[in-house]
Amino acid sequence: MFLQQLLNGLTAGAVYALIALGYTMIYGILGLINFAQGEIYMFGAFVAVLLLGTGQVNFFVAFAAGMAAAAILGVVLERVAFRPLRGSHPLVPLISAIGASIFLQSLALLLFGPNDRPFPIQFNFRTITIAGLPLSSLQGAILVAALGLMVLLLLFVRYTRYGKAIVACALDQDTARLMGINVDRMVALTFLIGSALSGAAGIMMAIYYNATYPRMGLLPGLKAFSAAILGGVGNIPGAILGGVLLGVAESLGAAYVSSGYKDAIAFAILILVLLFRPQGILKGRGD
Amino acid sequence: MSAYFLHLAILGGIYIILAISLNLIIGYAGQVSLGHAAFFGIGAYISALTSLYWGFPFLLAALSAILFSGVCGLLLGLPTLRLKEDYLAIVTLGFGVIVDLVFLNLEITGGPDGLAGIPSPRILGLSFRSPVMYLFLTLFMVLLTLALTYRLVHSYHGRALRAIRDHEVTAQVMGINTPAYKVAIFTLAAALAGLAGSLYAHYITFINPESFGLHTSILALCMVVLGGMGSIAGAVVGALALTVLPELLRSFKAYQDLIYGGLLVALLIWRPEGLLGRGKLSLKFISRE
Amino acid sequence: MLTLKSVQAGYGKLTVLKGISFHVRPGEVVTLIGGNGAGKSTTLRAVSGLLPLWRGVVEFNGADLTRLPPERIVTLGLALVPEGRRIFASLSVTANLELGAFHRRDQRQARRDLEEIRERFPLLKERASQPAGTLSGGEQQILAICRALMSRPRLLMLDEPSMGLAPRMVNQVYKILRELKDEGTTLLLIEQNARAALKLADRGYVLETGRIILDGSAAELREDPEVQRAYLGKGYREVWE
Repeated sequence: MFLQQLLNGLTAGAVYALIALGYTMIYGILGLINFAQGEIYMFGAFVAVLLLGTGQVNFFVAFAAGMAAAAILGVVLERVAFRPLRGSHPLVPLISAIGASIFLQSLALLLFGPNDRPFPIQFNFRTITIAGLPLSSLQGAILVAALGLMVLLLLFVRYTRYGKAIVACALDQDTARLMGINVDRMVALTFLIGSALSGAAGIMMAIYYNATYPRMGLLPGLKAFSAAILGGVGNIPGAILGGVLLGVAESLGAAYVSSGYKDAIAFAILILVLLFRPQGILKGRGD
Repeated sequence: MSAYFLHLAILGGIYIILAISLNLIIGYAGQVSLGHAAFFGIGAYISALTSLYWGFPFLLAALSAILFSGVCGLLLGLPTLRLKEDYLAIVTLGFGVIVDLVFLNLEITGGPDGLAGIPSPRILGLSFRSPVMYLFLTLFMVLLTLALTYRLVHSYHGRALRAIRDHEVTAQVMGINTPAYKVAIFTLAAALAGLAGSLYAHYITFINPESFGLHTSILALCMVVLGGMGSIAGAVVGALALTVLPELLRSFKAYQDLIYGGLLVALLIWRPEGLLGRGKLSLKFISRE
Repeated sequence: MLTLKSVQAGYGKLTVLKGISFHVRPGEVVTLIGGNGAGKSTTLRAVSGLLPLWRGVVEFNGADLTRLPPERIVTLGLALVPEGRRIFASLSVTANLELGAFHRRDQRQARRDLEEIRERFPLLKERASQPAGTLSGGEQQILAICRALMSRPRLLMLDEPSMGLAPRMVNQVYKILRELKDEGTTLLLIEQNARAALKLADRGYVLETGRIILDGSAAELREDPEVQRAYLGKGYREVWE
């Protein structure tokens, strides 16, 4: 029972971590909470589900298309709702992000209707028992895929030219420009990557819960942001750690404390962390 | 006056109080609260519960609502107001979610069914059951709120608050106790939202958690931004506009949130000072340099 | 090579540069000297594109830089070592150097340049994977100069390279600048440490409250009584020589 809950928590946590990475990267480079991250997650899921529903494409194409659609949405959002507001009081882009989030959510409601959509294809998942621990191969697949994406991101940031340029912009934009780095392009790239990861997370959750609906991004988005703060905003390994910790705490809390307050656990932890260690568990902003 | 118009006027008045209270936080403490509906809800539930279970008369119930919401604001504000604005946004949002879940899960609040049969106010033997009377009551409370905030904003303390909003560090250097001011304004705003909640509960006479979720917090935020952040008159206009507008656009019900969301973004880009924000003051607030 | 014609610029309502004209010829080392707030750093910020010009023209090898953003200007061969070094503290020493060559198309050649620079400054090789923020101030200055060199600049601009450094490190930084000069690199150097700057430079301009009040060869400026009094502290003991 305990191990099963732990595993459920890890699975949800891995997905939170994927979304949290987008939050943390965008916050690192722009100092902005992109409240619409949860809606990008939802759009990614919808695109994959709708494509699969046509029966014309296979699963991997749909998955890639969902990520791509999320990425494009992220870039467009940055252009329309955030770039014109750079240099304003920090409240202004924050409220704009909230507006964008409401807009996208209601747009999805109009386009896709309010009802849950099941995932169009059924996977033949089995439960394998490893060392007495029943592991659903679906959970296994989600964990592996999420972990793979995180490793890819870490490699990208640490070892590629563009990855380092993004970090440079997060640290010191003026100096980055003196190196010939186009900050606007790096911001767009950050939105592209962060949104693609959120799109992937959305598709994974659409399979896991077998449900895709317009408000599906709301709570995971908020929880993932809590995870990003938990790990120290701007800190990439911190976001992963924060996501996993929240997922596990939530799963165990729901099982052993109260399931009615499941959604409150993440925020309660967030408030406690901010009270005692405002900089997060690991330090923030790429230091 | 048609009953429908009266209804809108009363709701508008209640939202004016809510918007003014949120505007105090945004426009005068330079912070954004995304859980303001929680205080609105706490006020509504406390007022309803004290009337239903202890038979409190309206004024006492409303006072309890104001005090309890204020204390909740104080307890949330004390540890969190030293956070940066975006952290506070997420903490208040989380607070809103938690409070919403509490309403939904507690037995005494009636869970998802909520509370029904909340008595209409009776003050000094005068019944406020009829909408006309209730409108007078609401207008009285609105005027009270306006007078209070106007005096606050134009006092020495109001200037201190504006200094904090525009330049927190400078304000600190000048010896203004910025954390104390922020906590005070946050507490006052929570208390006023509690008053609005109390008025709402005794008017509708039925409440459930649905009225106090994230949606309402965002509605209040839209009212403030539309009217102009930091402008009292703006909060009034914003609240009235967003109470009446959805009714006029009934047939566009499905598009309502879409319009709100788009409106927020568009306003910030093209007219960040809002409909009534005074260019100079608000622009100084909007532009960092 | 670089020409400024009546350049005006500032911050907000404050005019800092009140019409500045000067030029740098290929292979020259030119210095701008002046006191605090004279507008030296502002000049370099304006040339590098970080600060928009209000009036006037900046030309570099025939190209008009006036409206170009900094990320385009550096591709034309104009690199700035900013005031206070501004290295990327949490990135490794090597990553800092690589970022210096970010805009280059010949990334293969850039890798060879990186090797060359590491051979020349063994310090940068020894500390290759260390976060740049752990270097000492002087080491960071050397890193900042090398980072700028990684862009293969045709003109290298330096903003107060001796600021905040111990005398021993100042000497080391100036030794590097002298080597660059001997290799024929064109330098535009800004200094409060006028003594060190005028020793290295061919020509100089004296900046005071946003205007150029004096110009001439380095030797002339060294002998100018006004410069001696105001910037060389003649009569005081010479601190480092």
